[in-house]
Parts: sequence; C-alpha cells; structure tokens
Amino acid sequence: MGRRRRRVDRAGGAGALPEAIASLSRTLPGGPSPETFRRAKFDRPEAAPALWRLLFCVLSQLRAGGAPASPAPEAQARWVKSELLSQGYPRQGLAQLPEDGSRGSRELLLALSWLLARQPLPERLLAQTRVQLGDEMPVCECDILASPGLPAPRAEADGPVDARHLQWLMGKLRFRWRTLMASQQEQCALLGKIHWYTRGCHSDRRLGHLSVAETELLRDPESGRQLLRRLESENARLEAALEWRHREAVFWPWMDTVLGSCPPEAPQPASVPRPCELGAEELERQLWALQEELRAAVEARRAAWEARVGGRGLEWSVAQRATQEAVGQELVALRQAWERGGDLAQAHGPCRLVRTEAGVPAGPGLQAAQAIRVLQSREACLEETLRQLQAQCQQQLARLAGALPSLIWILPPGR
Amino acid sequence: MSIVTVQLGQCGNQIGFEVFDALFSDSHCTQGLCSKRENEAYRSSCKERFFNEEENGVPIARAVLVDMEPKVINQTLSKAVQSSRWKYGQRSCFCQKQGSGNNWAYGYSVHGPRHEESVMNLIQKEVEKCDSLGGFFIIMSMAGGTGSGLGTFITQNLQDQYSSSLKMNHIIWPYGTGEVIVQNYNSILTLSHLYRSSDALLVHENDAVHKICAKLMNIKQISFNNINQVIAHQLGSVFQPTYSEEGSFHYRRNPLGDLMENLVPHPEFKMLGVRDVPRMSENSLAYSTFTWAGLLKRLRQMLISNAKMEEGIDWQVQPPLSRLPTLGKRSLSEQLRFNTSIANLVVLRGKDVHSADVAGFKDPALYTSWLGPDNAFNVWTTQRAFSKYEKSAALVSNSQFLVKPLDMIVSKAWNMFASKAYIHQYTKFGIEEEDFLDSFTLLEQVVASYCNL
Repeated sequence: MGRRRRRVDRAGGAGALPEAIASLSRTLPGGPSPETFRRAKFDRPEAAPALWRLLFCVLSQLRAGGAPASPAPEAQARWVKSELLSQGYPRQGLAQLPEDGSRGSRELLLALSWLLARQPLPERLLAQTRVQLGDEMPVCECDILASPGLPAPRAEADGPVDARHLQWLMGKLRFRWRTLMASQQEQCALLGKIHWYTRGCHSDRRLGHLSVAETELLRDPESGRQLLRRLESENARLEAALEWRHREAVFWPWMDTVLGSCPPEAPQPASVPRPCELGAEELERQLWALQEELRAAVEARRAAWEARVGGRGLEWSVAQRATQEAVGQELVALRQAWERGGDLAQAHGPCRLVRTEAGVPAGPGLQAAQAIRVLQSREACLEETLRQLQAQCQQQLARLAGALPSLIWILPPGR
Repeated sequence: MSIVTVQLGQCGNQIGFEVFDALFSDSHCTQGLCSKRENEAYRSSCKERFFNEEENGVPIARAVLVDMEPKVINQTLSKAVQSSRWKYGQRSCFCQKQGSGNNWAYGYSVHGPRHEESVMNLIQKEVEKCDSLGGFFIIMSMAGGTGSGLGTFITQNLQDQYSSSLKMNHIIWPYGTGEVIVQNYNSILTLSHLYRSSDALLVHENDAVHKICAKLMNIKQISFNNINQVIAHQLGSVFQPTYSEEGSFHYRRNPLGDLMENLVPHPEFKMLGVRDVPRMSENSLAYSTFTWAGLLKRLRQMLISNAKMEEGIDWQVQPPLSRLPTLGKRSLSEQLRFNTSIANLVVLRGKDVHSADVAGFKDPALYTSWLGPDNAFNVWTTQRAFSKYEKSAALVSNSQFLVKPLDMIVSKAWNMFASKAYIHQYTKFGIEEEDFLDSFTLLEQVVASYCNL
C-alpha cells in the first residue's frame, strides 16, 4: 500500500517531468537531452543550436524527403522558419530570431510544443519513417503540391539576359525530364521482373510475390541484420511514444510556465490553444465573429475600390467581366477535376504495389487502371491549361511583333 | 541503359557493322591496361549498351538493319557471322528487292509509308529486349535515297511513337565532288526534316575521313571499309564506357542522355562533330609515346582552327581578344577562321588520365557570349585504354565547324532549284516546291544562327 502511494507520488512529483521529456526526446529524431529543454525554458543561448536541428529534423521528416539532405545551419534555420510560417505558426518572435543559432531557445521550444499540440506528432513521424518491406508508390501528389519547398534563391540578372541562354537551360531541363522518365520506366520494368520471378513465394496469400526488400533479404544475410537493427530502433521509438502519451500530462503545465515567463508579444497571441480544450460552441462563435469581421473588411475595400475606378467607365467594366468569366471557368474546371477524382478522394499516401494474376478478381485495394485514369484526366486538364497559356504568350508575341513592322519573326525549328 | 541502333541503307549498314565490331573488339581487347575487375566492369557496361546475350553466349547486336536492296544486308550479316564473336539477331533485318534510285522522295514518300509497319515492328521487338531504353542511334547517309529518305521517315515515326526517348542521327556527309547528281537536294531535305524530329545530328564528312586515311593511316588505296573503320573508331572512342563522374569508378549509365544534355539542349544548334587524337597506322603505334599535355594541346588547336585531323593544323589561329559582334563586317570565310564553340565534350581514355589537365578547354574565349565554360564544357574519363592506344582523346563539339559545308550544300541546291533542275523527280512522289522552300528557309536559319554566335 505504502509503496504504491510512493510511486503515484513520484509520477506526479519532481522526477516526472524529466522522464516525460526524456520519453518525448526518444520518440523524436535525434532528440536532445531533457537538460536542453530545461535550459530553453530560461532562454539560454547554448540550447538554441540543438533545438534548431531538432525542428529541422522533425519538419523535414514530416515532409518525407521534401527538404534537402543536410544544409548548413543557417539554411536549416531559414527553412524551419518558412515551414512553420506556411503551417500557420502565429508567433512573430520566431521570425525575428537570428539564423546563426546564437539565441532564442525559448522561442524554439514554444514552436516545438506548438507542433506537438496541434497534431499527433510522434505518431506522424513514426508513420513517415517506419521500416517498409513492400514496394510502395504514392497515389497522389498532395504532399508535393502542398509543399512550399525551400524559398527559392532569387537570382536577379545583372544585365540583359540572352534568350539563347534561357533556351539552353530550358532544353537541359527537358533532357533531364526525359532521362528521369527513362529511369522510372527502367525501375518499373525491373520491379515487374522481381514480382514475376518470385510469384507464389510469399507466405501472405494476398500478396503472392516478394518485394524488392524481401528479395534482398533472401539474397544477402547482412541486409537481414541491418533490417533487424532498424526494426529494433523503431520498436524503441514506439515504446518511447507510448510512454510519452502516458506522461504527457505533466509536460503541458510546465509549458504553460514557459509561456508565462515570455515577455508579451506586441499583439498578444491567444496563447497556444489546444483545439481540444476549446469547446465546439466556443469555436463556432469565434468562427462566426471572424466571418463577420471579414465581411465588413471586404465591403469597405470594395466600396473604396469602386469609388476609385468608377470614373473609367466602359473599358473597366469590360475588363471586369472578362476577369469574372475567367475566374468562373477556372472554378468550373476545378470543380470538374474534383468530381472526377472523387472516387479516389480517400486514397492518399503510399500504397503497396501488388501484382495480381490476370483473371483473378481484384482485391480490396486500389486498381492501377483506376489510378491511371485519374492521372490521365488530370494530365488532360494540365495540358489544356498549358495550351491556354501558350496561346496567350503567342498573342502577346504577335502584339509585340506588330509593334515592330521592320522585324521578321521566325519560330525556332522543332518543338 | 541500352541503345537501339537502326542501320539504314548501304552506308548505314556498312558503318553499323564496323561500329559493333569496333565496340566488341575493344571491350574484349586484353591490352586495356587496367585490372581484370575493371576490364570486366567495362565489358559488361559496353554489353548492356550495345549487345544482347543469347543462350549460347554469343552477343547479339541491339540493331535493326533496313535496306531496300538485299545485297548489302546479306554481306553485312555474313561478315558478322564470319567474325564468329558477335552476330545480328535472326529476325532483325528488313530488305526489299528494289532500291530508291538515289531519290529522297522515293525513300520518304513511297518506301516509307509502304514498309512503315514492318520496320516499326522490328524496332519495337528490339526495344522490348531492353530492360531500359536509353535511346536510338540511327545511322544513315544523306546523299542517296534509302538511307536519307527512308531514314528521315523512320526518325519521324520514332519521334511520334517514342517521343520521350532520345534520338541521335549519325549522318554521313557526301564527298564535295559528289557521287550522286541530286545529292544536294537529298541532303537539304534530310537535314531540314531531321532538324525537326531528331535530338542531335552527329556528322561525319567523307572528305575529312578520307584525308585521315590518306595522311595519318598511310593507306594507299582507300576503300569504304577503311573509311568506315575510321568512323567506327571515332564513335567507339565516344560511346564506350566512361566513369559517371570525377573520382567515381562506376560507369556512366546513360551516355546518350548525358551527351545530349551537355551538348545539344538548344533547339537551333544540333550539329555535332567528332575529332580524335592520336591517329596512326598500327605499325607506327608501337613506336610512339604520348603525353596528355601534348594530346590536349593539339586537340584544342584542331578545335579552334577547325582542323579535322592532326596534320596540317593552323597554329596561327587564336581565340579573339574581344568578343564584340562582327556581324556583316567580314566575309563568311574570314569570320570562320576561328571556330567558335557552343559546347564541347572531351573524352579521355587511358593511363594516368587523372593527371590530364583540360584547362585549355575552359577558356571563355572559346565559347559564345551567352554560355560560359561552366555550362559549355564537360569531360568524361576512364583509365581503361581504348583500342590499343595507351592514351587517346576524343572531342565531340557543337561548333561552327559545319557552317561552310552546310552553306555550300544549300547554295548548290538553291542554284539547281532556281533552274528547276530535276524537280519533277521529286514532285512526282509528292515532295512539292513548297517543301523545298521550307527546307531552304530552315537551313539558312541554321547557318545564320551558327554564324551569329
């Protein structure tokens, strides 16, 4: 009886916090020691580099290959800032931090806890980095399309640029694209061979054949040992994640004290709300208020705008109508694309590639033919857009050419 | 990645045989001056690119042979059988009984559509034998009727059916003195059509190769065999395996793609030429030694003075000090004394290749104002010696080297066209005057683009 009470006391007592943080740290990729977290609470500069690294690892793993392998610390910091901004991180303190990692550990700790609070972070990280035995393929491009990528280095040309240089670079890009196509086709052909030669070898009847990783295991015992090591480390992270879920309750009050020790930001952010703490009614009320605010702002803007352009008359209203039509068309196209892709709405993320014998009734998974159809319709949409843009460019060129009657325009051969 | 070769017409088939024979002999040469393991990697890389393995172990060329007369194809097949080291596939040939009579229009408009399905089926079968297709290498002459006309037709079909695969046309430029009265017509029709459907045109001039045979190889009675062997050697020295990057010992996987990305991304500049050093008869080779510095110095001067071979290089030509545009102020011949490059690729093979210094090719003065050496120059290397040469260097160049011959052919054809000579032989088969005019316009544009670098 007495022993049990002591353990309960310990769980809520002084040792509980470091243990909770330690378990969190173990679930995160390259997580720092609890001591780093403690120092960050007091905004000690020496904790900052480790936290920048941690945020970079976490965010780039969430992106699954979206970030460059391991850029310089400054580039890492820039990337972390832009990534957090694109996810809607509200505090401005982070954006103002220097990128050399010299200070700001408390801001970074707040950013990390914001990520933890708004999504089941350890679970998502584990899902991204789990050991894969099957041959997987993404069926959608949502992630890539949604990714802002690294802020592109903006190269301003010193002087006029020779169009031939641009054509050269464009051509190079085209060749690279074709090379990529060729290697993808090669990969598919080889995958197909492996699946064909190993048919009937898999213990799982639904799969029937082996994947590349499984074939590799049979060929090379060393890769089996490597796989074992990777599975063990994944297990350790899973256990740590479980532990974190048990102990998380002591972490959040502590984070409140961290937030409390912050000097208030100019427009005070509405703390770091955990969505589940606010009731549905409260959220609805907030949403309604925001919508009202938006409506008022839009009306004021529109009134001001119309007052300004009112004098232009007919020409203006023609342009306005054209814009409205263009927007309308685009909306229709988007809606159609959405409806056509509707049956695939749930199929996101990677799928395991499985070859089925011809004539065998299809299993529960997604059929390749179905996925291809969706991609083809998407391709057709994109090509239509490309054609429209090209036509616009040609019109523009023709207009320019018309302005210079002494010039003859000859289109380049080919293409 | 594998390359499917399409051999067209008499010239294409004869050269194709020599190319495969040169590739095979070099990769099985025991004088590679490298370790056994490296030799094996080199051999298997060459094989993946150009040969298929049959059950009995005899490699089979990844090639399709097409001609409208059976004679040359039969000779080519039997020569391959006689070599007994490699052969052509049993069902990779297509031939007919009647040629094209040196008429481009006949090859393009009659033979092309009539035999389209059979030839494209053969090509598809060959493509299906590749785990991965790097692209097509299409060998043809441009003076005659079958290689040029049918070859152009087939290239266009490949462009339609395999639009994302790479296509390089290897073109034999006719002797200036002429074998065929309408060779200039055939040439402009070939070049202008290929400029639209091919990714790169690799050109060998018969005149230049003839001189190499006479001056460097000391051959007294020069036959087409001799000429074709020189061409095959040059192609081999470019397309045999090289390391994928500096410091790596893995061989390049996609030579055709890398070469095109380095040399012909711009759609208006697709003409490539090859030069190589050293070049000599086998007897002299045994008594010669070379240094990389010496070889590269000569190769660079051959490039900038537009010399096709080592002998008779004009050492006076130097890069201009300022690159101000000189458009219209000097005659064409004066302008072209210095050969401006758009892009160059140097391929070095042999002993101590890591010590070779290619700084001479990185001089911005060699290139155009709109493409610096960083973009315009590349080097491929391997320690493995090529075909008994302890050290050898080849240069693939996209430069002004062809402007003069091209201009010559266009103006000769124009003179004939202006007097309407032989036009009816083309209109008879559906090639109208309008098509000729389109070809002239396009090629004059190419000449102008190359002149105004």
